[in-house]
Order: sequence, then C-alpha cells, then structure tokens
Amino acid sequence: MKILVISVTGLLIGFTAPAATAQQEPVISDANAGAQLYYDHGCYACHGYSGYGRVDLNNTGSPWLVNEEIFRAFLRARADVAPVLPSTSMPNYPANALSDEGVNDIFAYIRSLPDNQPDSADIPALRTILESAEQREYKP
Amino acid sequence: MSSKKPEQPKGPSATTVDRRGFLKGAATGAAALAVTPVARAQEPSAYRASFTAPSYQQMQRDAGLVELPAPDSRGVVRPGSDLMVQALKEMGIEFVASNNGSSFEGIQESIANYGSPPNHMPEFITALHEESSVDMANGYAKAEGRPMAVMLHGTLGIQHASMSIFQAYNTGTPMLLIVGRDVGFIQAHTADDMAAMCRSFTKWDAQPTTLSECIDTLHEAYRQAVTPPTGPAMVVIDIELQKEEAQDFDLPRFRPAVIEGVDTATAKDIAEKLLNASNPRLETGMFRTPKGIGAAVELAELIGASTSTTSTGGPMGFPQRHPLCGPGEESNYDYVLGLEADASDLSLKRPIVNSLTAQRDVMGIGFGSLREDYAPAPPGSEPTPLDRSPRQPQGTVLKVDAQASIPLIIGELSRLITPAKQREIEQRKARHARTNRETFLTALRVAVEEKKKGWDLSPVSTARIYAELWPLIMNEDWCLASPSNFSGAHHRELWEHNKPYSYLGTQGAGGMGYGPGACAGAALAARSRGRFVVNVQPDGDLNYSPGALWTAVHHELPMLTVMHNNRAWHQEYMFLQYLAGVRGRGTDRGHIGCVLRDPFIDYSKMAQAYGMDSEGPIENPALLTAALDRGVRSVKNGKPYLIDVVTQPR
Repeated sequence: MKILVISVTGLLIGFTAPAATAQQEPVISDANAGAQLYYDHGCYACHGYSGYGRVDLNNTGSPWLVNEEIFRAFLRARADVAPVLPSTSMPNYPANALSDEGVNDIFAYIRSLPDNQPDSADIPALRTILESAEQREYKP
Repeated sequence: MSSKKPEQPKGPSATTVDRRGFLKGAATGAAALAVTPVARAQEPSAYRASFTAPSYQQMQRDAGLVELPAPDSRGVVRPGSDLMVQALKEMGIEFVASNNGSSFEGIQESIANYGSPPNHMPEFITALHEESSVDMANGYAKAEGRPMAVMLHGTLGIQHASMSIFQAYNTGTPMLLIVGRDVGFIQAHTADDMAAMCRSFTKWDAQPTTLSECIDTLHEAYRQAVTPPTGPAMVVIDIELQKEEAQDFDLPRFRPAVIEGVDTATAKDIAEKLLNASNPRLETGMFRTPKGIGAAVELAELIGASTSTTSTGGPMGFPQRHPLCGPGEESNYDYVLGLEADASDLSLKRPIVNSLTAQRDVMGIGFGSLREDYAPAPPGSEPTPLDRSPRQPQGTVLKVDAQASIPLIIGELSRLITPAKQREIEQRKARHARTNRETFLTALRVAVEEKKKGWDLSPVSTARIYAELWPLIMNEDWCLASPSNFSGAHHRELWEHNKPYSYLGTQGAGGMGYGPGACAGAALAARSRGRFVVNVQPDGDLNYSPGALWTAVHHELPMLTVMHNNRAWHQEYMFLQYLAGVRGRGTDRGHIGCVLRDPFIDYSKMAQAYGMDSEGPIENPALLTAALDRGVRSVKNGKPYLIDVVTQPR
C-alpha cells in the first residue's frame, strides 16, 4: 500500500513553492459554483465533503492555497505520465477538463470551508477518552 | 498427505451390492425390503402411474399380503455421519457454518439429531452464502485461535467459498472445510478430485474412501489446520460414507497436535542472554492462540523487558496497556528477542502457510501473494503508535513456533534468576511502566486533537464514529471484528487493545464481502462468552454478503453494526480520478462505476428486511451518540442492531 500513497509534494519536484507563511489573499470567485465542481470532480474523495479527509484543506496554511494563480498552477502541474500502478495521488487537472474559471470557483469554495475544530475539552466523548485513559489501570 | 484418488468405497458395511443402490433402497423403508433395485427401475413413473395398471407389488400391498416393518425399525441404525459428528465433538468444534446442500445431508441430519443435546458442539450455523460461511470461520478462528468447521456442497459450494478460503489462506487462519460429494445425483455438482479447485490455497486436503479413513482424515485435517504453518484444511466426504451403517465401528480417539518449540539448549542460551542484558527487549507479533500471549506476558514480566505489540493491527497481540508494552525507559536495547516478529538479535517465527504454496500449486497458477519470493507482512505487523523503537536490523531467524518455545525459556530463566537479579528486574519494570504510561497518554492527547477535525460537520467524520463508540464499549468485553483500513482505523489511536480478540485485522487478500461474515463468526465466539462484537461496516463490502445480517439475527449474535456509508467504493474512485487526470481527460466522470448513488441504498431498511433492528440513515452528527447508545443496549439485550451512518469518504 505504501507504494500507492505517494505524497503530493513528491510529485511536485521542480515546482517552486511559495513560502508556507505567505498571507492568503482575498477571493473574488463563486464559491457556490465551486461547491458543485468540488463534488462533480470528486475532490471530496480525498479531501472530504467539507475539507477534512485523507488530506485536509481547511486552514492548513498550505502554500498552494495562497491565491488562485498558485492554486491553478498547482492543479495544472500534476504528473502527466500514465502510472503503471493505481495511485491515490492528486490527479492532474488540464485546462480542457477544468477551466481557469472553474479552478477559481473551486478555490473560492475551499477558502469558504469552515474551520470546524471545536475545543476537545468541549467534546464529551474525547474528554471521556482522555480521562478514562489516565485513570484506567491495566487489567489482564 | 496429498489428495487421494476416489476409489470404490470399502466401509465396514460394504457388500457386493452397490452401496448407493443399497442405501437408497434402504431409505425407502418397507418397500425396499420387498423390491430390488432392478425391480424399482422397471416400475412406471409417477406420471404414467395415473393411467397404467398397478404393479404386482402394489397389488400385493393393497391386498395386505406385504408384512410391514415394525414402526421403530430403520434401515440404518448407526449412520457413519453420527460418528463424524462425534469426531467433531471430540475435537472441540463448536460450530459448523453452512449453506445447506444434499451432498452433506447425512452430516447435517446428524448434527440436527445426534447427541444429547442435539445440535450442540457442534451447532449448525445457517449461512446464506458459502463465502459468508467461510468468513464466519475466519472471524471465529481469529478471535479464538482455533478452528470451527464449514460444510460446502460439492463443486458449487467450493467455488462459492473459494475467495474466502483464499483470504483465510493469506492470513493462515485455521479452519476445517468439509465438502460433500455425491456422485450419481447431479453430475455438475461433483468431480473426481474436488479439492483440486482450491488446492493451491489450502494447506492440506484428503478424500477418504472408507468410514475409518474418514475419521482419521477429519482428525488429521484438524491437526494440520492448527499446526504451523496454520491454514485451511479440507476433507471431501462421499455421501455413501455419511449414510452407511457403521455397525460396531470403534471410533478412534482424537490425538491433539503436538507443536514443538526450540530445543533445550537454545532455550537456555536465550534465557542467559535475556538475563545478562541490562535492557532486554521483546518484539512481539501475532501469536497462534491466547495461550501464546499469556506466555509472552509471563516472560516479559519475569525478565522485565519492554515489549512491542501488534494488537492494534490484528488479533493475538501483546496487550497494549500492559505496563511493559511500549518503548520502555531507554531504547538502547542490548538484547532483542523477536517472538513472531523481527528482531535484531534472534527471532522465533513460525513458518507461514505460503511456504507450502510451491508444492500445493500443482497447476502452476502462481497467485502473486502466495509466491515464496513474496513475503507479505503478517497480520498485525503494521507499526503501532507504541512501537516507536527504530527499525532494527534483522538478526538470526529460527523458523519455530514462539508460543511453544516460551515456556521452555521461562523454565530456564526460573532456574537462573538470583534474588539480586530479581530486585534489579523489579526496578527496571517500574521505570518501564512509568515511561510507557506517559508515552501512551502523550500519543493519545495528540490523537484526540487530530480526531476532532470536522467534528460537527455532516456527513459524519469516520473519526467521530470511533470516538463516540469507545466510551460506550470501553467497559464491555469488546471485539472489533471488522477491518478498519477503509474507515480510518481510528481505533488504533483511541481505543485500548488488551485482549487477544480486541481487533481482528484485515481481510487477508483485500477481498470485499468479508466483513459481515467475519463479524458474525466473531460474534459466534462472543455469544457464549459474554462479549460484544463491533462491526464498522463499509457499504461496498456489505453489498457483497448482506445475508450474514440474517445469520446474526437468526442465531441471536451480539453484533453492533455501524455503517461506514460513504456511498461509493472510494479507493477505486480515487484510482480512477488519478488515471483520468494523468491522461488529461478530467476527473468529472471518475464516479462512473465507482459510486453508489441514484439511488442511495437504505441500509437500515436492508437490515430490517433481514429481521435486524436498525435506524438511520444518520447524517447529523449530533444524533450519533444517542443512536450508538441504543445500539449498544440492544446488543447487550441479545439483539443485533444496525445503525446506518452517512459518512465522510475516509
């Protein structure tokens, strides 16, 4: 399985990434249209319906999400050599399959996703898990 | 022992009359006493009988000239199948899972009626598909470390079951496969060498020709299944042997398998090295049975060694929260012993069943995962949060069963340990315990912060399912029987895996349809032992074998099913998206053939159709806890339950 889980960054050797600390710029595209494209293109398969999944999108500080241009370049710069083995890596999104406008809309949708991470102390189940682990002694 | 070619049956009751003809004649009762097989063949058919003259025999009977047998007389008073069932009892077989078939009707009838009480040890478990029946045996054996039996109907039953047998072979799961053979009934259901269809992925098979051979081969099949390399063993039993009169046949006594460990000199050498090390380490893997875990715990405590575990990745692993489980105070180990795991100094590892594939694969099929040059990671060998020690170079490997070896090592240690050494060991154990506890809690705190992501969003996050479940079951004697590789495996970081059956691991060969049957099998083991089985059930997997839900209801199995309903086969979806992307054709048609929508499948209604209480689909995560609580209470009250939860993909 390890061979299938190639890291996204591993595929982008040679692509110059901006600094991870870059400020995110304002968004002007249509997030509602982007939501439909996010669904139609199956982005949710890896990133979840709301940006949390195998690879998170929400508030990650990713350098690829600084602005539309960088995001678009990221989508266009994917590997274009047919792999021998199946891969769950990030696909390529050529312009003939996803327009620049569509990319911008998806970008707007991603940036609109809520940062849903409540304080773990406010989540009873997680609080119980921690407390019980601290109190519990091993019994054969 | 290789498969035997079929021969003319020669049992205790063999006569010059063809056995089949004799038995089928006997089964007709009184008429058979007066009518020879030849005469029967000349009788008019039932259809023609409506307009042809009665036969001589009919007229005799109508005239009261035929002496009827006494009401309690039978053609066969001690059928061979009763002895076969008695053999299963004496081997300790608890269950026989099966989708019924005429080729083993003799054994099935004996299970139903022989013994006191009948249908007990073994109990007949009704499966709706042979694939599920083998999966049940797989789940049971993973939980218990010993086999149950499965009955398969001829060529069809074997082929239906073959994928599950293949998966069991991949995990080396012991099970006893009994195949009925009925030459002369339906020709498409029989074959000369039935077991050949799956010989390359079973450990051993035989086709006995007498009742005596049949009992011997059942015994041997059991021993072969449980002796390393463990795996499925198959016995093909002709219907004649099941139905023949055993007369005064003396059932031979079952001799359990004798499994040997290291020799005494090696055990002494290991004991001395463990004792002389200032920081000994045990790397542990998947033991053969729960006794192996108990022995490993005793050894770790005796020598004060920190210990790794595979219990979060599969069954029969060292208890995760044992005070010695973890990296220990220091990772500068000066003697590392592997017990069914790789280690830098010495590893004791039983052979795995694919070491036999070359000699069993007589047709040269060459299954990729079963080649000798391919060494798959054994179940439960995935790294765990506690297994932080750097990868060790591989030391000497002895292909010997660790479980059988440990008592010998303990025996030597007990003779060598001095009071001064004992004090040193106790101090080391206390230091290890403190460090391991803090290591576990630190990893748990990190995990909790990770799992809260998207907590309140809909569809429900897979992490939330595992997190909400744990407080409800942590005080139960629980068993997670479903593979968790597609649902995030969040239990590995959030739950505590302290029992041999805490987590039963993955499918074996990645085959879908495994989950429902395997969970039902684990629940068979759980039912009489007061356990609670959890099944986090992927939707794609359930659609291969939903009938196992009915089995769970019919046999009142303690099984809580929580759907991981992501409405797709998401692994394939991601594969297809990537391929479409690199071909420059876009990903907006990647869903074709990969998603389960238009319409969505209602798993709550599916469960209800099989008689299982259920609820859902739940999309609002706020409703989850109450639903899980209802499910847990239902299962504790003896009723399996299904909760359909619409989830994030992973």
